[in-house]
Amino acid sequence: MRKQVSVILSLLIVLSMVLSACTAAPVAPAAPAPDSAAGDAADTATQEVPAGATRVAFWHSMAGDIGGKSIPKLADDFNASQSTCFVEPTYQGSYDDSLNKLRAGLQSNDIPAVVQLFDIATRLMVDLDVATPVQDFMDAEDFDTSDFEPNVLAYYTVDGKQYSMPFNTSTPLLYYNKDMFAAAGLDPEVAPRTFDEVADYAAKLTQRDASGNVTVSGGAFAIYGWFVEQLLAVSGGYYVDNGNGRDGAATQALFNSPEGVRVLEWWKEMYDAGSFGNYGRTTVDTRNAFLAGQTAMFIDSTAVLRGMIDGSAGKFELGTGWLPRPDESAFENAGTIIGGASLWILNGRPAEEQTCAWEFIKFLAEPAQQAYWHTVSGYFPIRLAGYEEPLAVEWRAKYPQFGTAVDQLHAAPNNRVTQGALIGVFPTARQTVETAIEEVLAGQSTPQQALDNAAATVTQAIADYNVTMGK
Amino acid sequence: MVTNDQRLASQKSSRRTPSSSRARWREMKKFLLALAYLSPSLLIFLAFVFIPLIRSFILSTQLTDPIGRPVAFVGLTQYQRLLQNPQFLNSLQRTLLFVLYTVPTTLVIALGLALLGNLRLRRISIFRMIFSLTIAVSAATASLIFLYLFHPALGMLNYLLGLVGIPSIGWLTDVRTALPSVALVTVWLQLGLNTVILLAGMQGIPEELYESAMIDGASGPARFRHITLPLLSPTIFFLLVVDLLAAFQAFTQFHVLTKGGPINSTNVLVFSIYREFYFNGQYSYAAAQSIVLFFIMLVVTIIQFGVIERRVVYE
Amino acid sequence: MSLDARWQRILTNTALYLLLTIVAVIVIFPLWSALTISMLSETEVASYPPLLAPTSLYLTNFVRALEQAPLLRYLFNSIVQSTLVMAGQLITASLAAYAFAFIDFKGRNLMFLVFLSTLMIPWEATIIPNYLTVRSLGWTDTYMGLTVPFLATAFGTFLLRQFFLTIPRELQDAATIDGCGSLRFLTAIVLPLARPALGTLAVYSFLQTYNQYLWPLLITNDQQMRTVQIGITLLQDEERFAFNVVMAGVVLVLLPTFALFIVGNRQLIRGLTAGAVKG
Repeated sequence: MRKQVSVILSLLIVLSMVLSACTAAPVAPAAPAPDSAAGDAADTATQEVPAGATRVAFWHSMAGDIGGKSIPKLADDFNASQSTCFVEPTYQGSYDDSLNKLRAGLQSNDIPAVVQLFDIATRLMVDLDVATPVQDFMDAEDFDTSDFEPNVLAYYTVDGKQYSMPFNTSTPLLYYNKDMFAAAGLDPEVAPRTFDEVADYAAKLTQRDASGNVTVSGGAFAIYGWFVEQLLAVSGGYYVDNGNGRDGAATQALFNSPEGVRVLEWWKEMYDAGSFGNYGRTTVDTRNAFLAGQTAMFIDSTAVLRGMIDGSAGKFELGTGWLPRPDESAFENAGTIIGGASLWILNGRPAEEQTCAWEFIKFLAEPAQQAYWHTVSGYFPIRLAGYEEPLAVEWRAKYPQFGTAVDQLHAAPNNRVTQGALIGVFPTARQTVETAIEEVLAGQSTPQQALDNAAATVTQAIADYNVTMGK
Repeated sequence: MVTNDQRLASQKSSRRTPSSSRARWREMKKFLLALAYLSPSLLIFLAFVFIPLIRSFILSTQLTDPIGRPVAFVGLTQYQRLLQNPQFLNSLQRTLLFVLYTVPTTLVIALGLALLGNLRLRRISIFRMIFSLTIAVSAATASLIFLYLFHPALGMLNYLLGLVGIPSIGWLTDVRTALPSVALVTVWLQLGLNTVILLAGMQGIPEELYESAMIDGASGPARFRHITLPLLSPTIFFLLVVDLLAAFQAFTQFHVLTKGGPINSTNVLVFSIYREFYFNGQYSYAAAQSIVLFFIMLVVTIIQFGVIERRVVYE
Repeated sequence: MSLDARWQRILTNTALYLLLTIVAVIVIFPLWSALTISMLSETEVASYPPLLAPTSLYLTNFVRALEQAPLLRYLFNSIVQSTLVMAGQLITASLAAYAFAFIDFKGRNLMFLVFLSTLMIPWEATIIPNYLTVRSLGWTDTYMGLTVPFLATAFGTFLLRQFFLTIPRELQDAATIDGCGSLRFLTAIVLPLARPALGTLAVYSFLQTYNQYLWPLLITNDQQMRTVQIGITLLQDEERFAFNVVMAGVVLVLLPTFALFIVGNRQLIRGLTAGAVKG
């Protein structure tokens, strides 16, 4: 008993000492200078900050190998290439996490000079007026963009101004299992192109056991709003009014058009026929089902291609095709939308930091960096010269499937539909559409009903948004 | 043994009798002494819980722009909007169901595990350790593991069911099973904490009570009912309150596993608040929901203290 | 003891062990799965039927996880943060629980409800105001910011109160007669008796802090100040989501907590003898 008392007592004394010590003097490294708070010492281990260099915080959302290795390497290369700017990259969680940290930071000026934000934050960023458009920097030095992908730039162009610089860019592809195609008597070198063909192929690819239970589903789409946006675009349908919100602020959702309804009807028919599986909202679940030979086709971003090639190695041969479209004519006059994220320069930081941010963005857009980025990540280069770098040429020889994605990108016409919708409430819209898909698949509503309800919800959200933004 | 009711009653009567100024001074002294003991906690709570809560309430009466800056005063209209919104009522219902699925299940299973862990057997401490292990696991980790186990085509759970001839279950993709599936993860996750605390409570029960009961010829179940359960009642009551609050606030599981789907079947209140607040930028609407959730939990807790704690046996 | 009774004993014990083992296997199965997945190769991780155990001691995923995220540095920060929070919570909760269990002051029930109400506030309602507070105090990227908001705990206070209430009142009376001050009574008599509860609280508060994600993400930018759960999400690349690498990270991050739990469990929970209550 007595011993226990002394043990506890001394423990408490030690603890309170630790605690009071901590209260007296912050254990943290040198107090950050108020000016460089957000990016303070985002340690890039290998490098010293040159004297007099402007430190620039760069927030990004790239995880895994490219976030852990490639982004720090790009920053290191930039820092080594000159001595006036020093970029410090910091991972800020998923796109959602990062955007929310930015929102909180904007209230107390705890913000970086450069931030990577997903495509669907574009309208919000423009309306908040917290960014310096990269156009301003381009104009100041007559920056030549003639070699850049026009479709890629167009997504981030609002009211005729280039607001942010595309960074990681992707489009959706149809992925399929060539071995299963051959086993089902289909030509493994030719992907289905139209909705009808996909339905037909899916039926042929579906395998059932003796009691009629599906063992391999012909295809599967993850329940992901982005896929509907893309399928709607290749059907020539608008997501919202006013030229997809690009000729003026959007006021109404339009995805419950015949084009939109057709997409869900097609999906639902295949699901009801048993030739399409449902692995939920998490896209990785559908990818893993495909890799494990549980399904023969799926759609996903070009960014997953490399992982699919590696994962299928030794198991089966992987095929890629263009995103399916309602009919052949759509291959002529419609196209996919650019997805991914772009880099924004925030106007709340001092001018010299913004200038450095622009220098960094320019550095990243150089062909050599574009080729490196393209090959490590599987995202598109944003300029044509990026493809001609030896690194990129070699990579394409190794992964010929990627050619499909490049062709699809270049074939897309540049119009209001393929530029994609601009709305400030895109996250809401996406999750509303996802719920609508689930209602349709579960048979709770018809495609028309579900999309009508979803469109009403999104229209209301847009109206609320416009009110708070003073539009 | 004294029930809490009796204890509180005896305190009350002793407090009331002498109403001289000396007694009042003693009252005051006690209060100040208590305040001194409570002050470290109160200061932290004030700065990091109550002031933010008040700010949230103020936020709920204003309309904000998408980064949370107030643009207009709207009074209590957000609350009106809330109560008329079928989505909110759905969330409320899913939350209550989730609480119902998880809390009693966790308590009963943990009680069973603690009883097993309390057996006088060799090497029992290893089992005790295993039963308590999930206390070290975070909700995020547990959810990632179960995301893999629940996979509709590749998951271990469906594979094992298949081995015994049960057809695959949609787990997280089916409207009917999604909420129970998340509840399953939650029960597993909470088992560790519950078992640890119950074991600690059981070890506080004097051995001689059991010995004398054995001599009196009490059967195992009788000993459980008349000794273990009453003496464990403060612990069980504690867990009931804490588990309920935890279930009301469960979030990470939903975020990783279902994101509120399919068809909002797992869109519990805390997740819905997250969605509005963190994702849709509807700060004031989300703040209103938080305040409502706060009051629901407050009422549930007051009821528990008013009704159940009176039956708890202390000493 | 007759032979029959001995046989019966052995049989019962065997049955009990069998039951214990089955239950243990069910409880531990998800964790075993995590370990298995962490040692699967790229092609094995998406295969059917799923693998019940690793096919070889494949450690590449652990190397990859450590390359992708500076987990060791993050681990250090998490341990410092969690230890400080644990120590602070033990002190504040012991003091507060003492007041609730041993001092009959006016408004005690109301005050207790005030404490409990802190458990009822959805985190969304407080996280942004708290961020702004911590930011205005200049505590971003410091251990202060990581710990101070968590130094009080209603859960811990409640837990300790429940244990304190089971301590016979006579002990307090005796101590008062001995001229023992209230703080001395707390440290000399109450806390030693509440060892299992303190141990439980210590383990719990350490792990709760260790498992934080959003708060550390919000208030740190400096790699040197970040914590392990951020490291785990750093492994979760949406588009190249590799379950095996993520699980390897999860296993690496779980190891220290299991170690702590096993040590803490031995020292604090098993260490208690039933006789301790008699003082």
